[in-house]
Amino acid sequence: MTGREKKDQRAETGAGEGAAPWDRKISFDALRVRAQQLSLREQLQREHFLLERLNAASARLIQAVDQSQVLEAISEIIGNLIGSEEVAIFQYRATDQTFSLAWSVGVEEEILRQFALGAGQMGRAAHEGASQFRDRRPAAPLLPCEKNLTACVVLKLDREVIAVIAILRLLPQKGGLEWADFELLKFLETYGAVAIQLQNLQKISVTP
Amino acid sequence: MNGENKVASKKVLLVDDSSTARLVTRMIFSQKSNYVLLSAVDGRDAVERARAEKPDLILMDVMMPRMTGLEACRVLKKDKETSNIPVILLTTRGEESFVREGYESGCSDYLTKPVNDAELLDLLKAYLGE
Repeated sequence: MTGREKKDQRAETGAGEGAAPWDRKISFDALRVRAQQLSLREQLQREHFLLERLNAASARLIQAVDQSQVLEAISEIIGNLIGSEEVAIFQYRATDQTFSLAWSVGVEEEILRQFALGAGQMGRAAHEGASQFRDRRPAAPLLPCEKNLTACVVLKLDREVIAVIAILRLLPQKGGLEWADFELLKFLETYGAVAIQLQNLQKISVTP
Repeated sequence: MNGENKVASKKVLLVDDSSTARLVTRMIFSQKSNYVLLSAVDGRDAVERARAEKPDLILMDVMMPRMTGLEACRVLKKDKETSNIPVILLTTRGEESFVREGYESGCSDYLTKPVNDAELLDLLKAYLGE
């Protein structure tokens, strides 16, 4: 750094014995502007981070061409973008008002075969049509299989719940769900449901 | 060749059986770096592509069908044509025993999933330069 640059820097930061009051005022203004710029930059980086993930998630859902691929895509999105290797997806069966296990990874299928609408955390979430998260869990009885439940995400079209995603334990390095995770889960609530329903309709239309 | 062209020519081979992971990494690369991204879907595919393409760095998932990341890393380190390529393992398991196993296979570094953009790019920069 040259002598001139050092002098300029001192003036900018208000440092040095010779700094006049108006210099200090300038430096406070400069610092405030800089802080605002950094805050805006950080906010934009966060938004961009989310956009990347939403973009990847939607591209992944679009790639799926049948029912099992849609379910696999949803569990892969949760595994890779949120960070859980214990995921179960249940689909609604209107005939007996139950949700049956349609896809799972890393969970004991025996204890997660099905649940009834209104039963336990997952059944209540489905009944109310609202996703529920561990940190915001109301004090109410849980099913034995819900002991490690981090989130149950309700997939719905309009008000009709067609499936529920149960996310059990997160990866050990994930302290908890973060803001981008909630946004991604919100995306899955709608677009996961759209992808599942589209494949259901496709199946009906090709079945003679 | 100027510095910019040199960076543009750096090749990174991403190995992951999950297309979601490949999609999001491709997005991070296209938006925030000049590295050329190649991809492979499992360890065996990675070994073949590494021999053919000679990437400057390999980013490799651990759990994959056909050949795991650890096995692929051992194969690459034994082959004199690929032994100098740094391998960064992407793992869901951050526990010490898993990390040690990774280093024993010959990897240079590791990142835990889900991958953080800034962490990934900083690590790449450390190995490949700006």
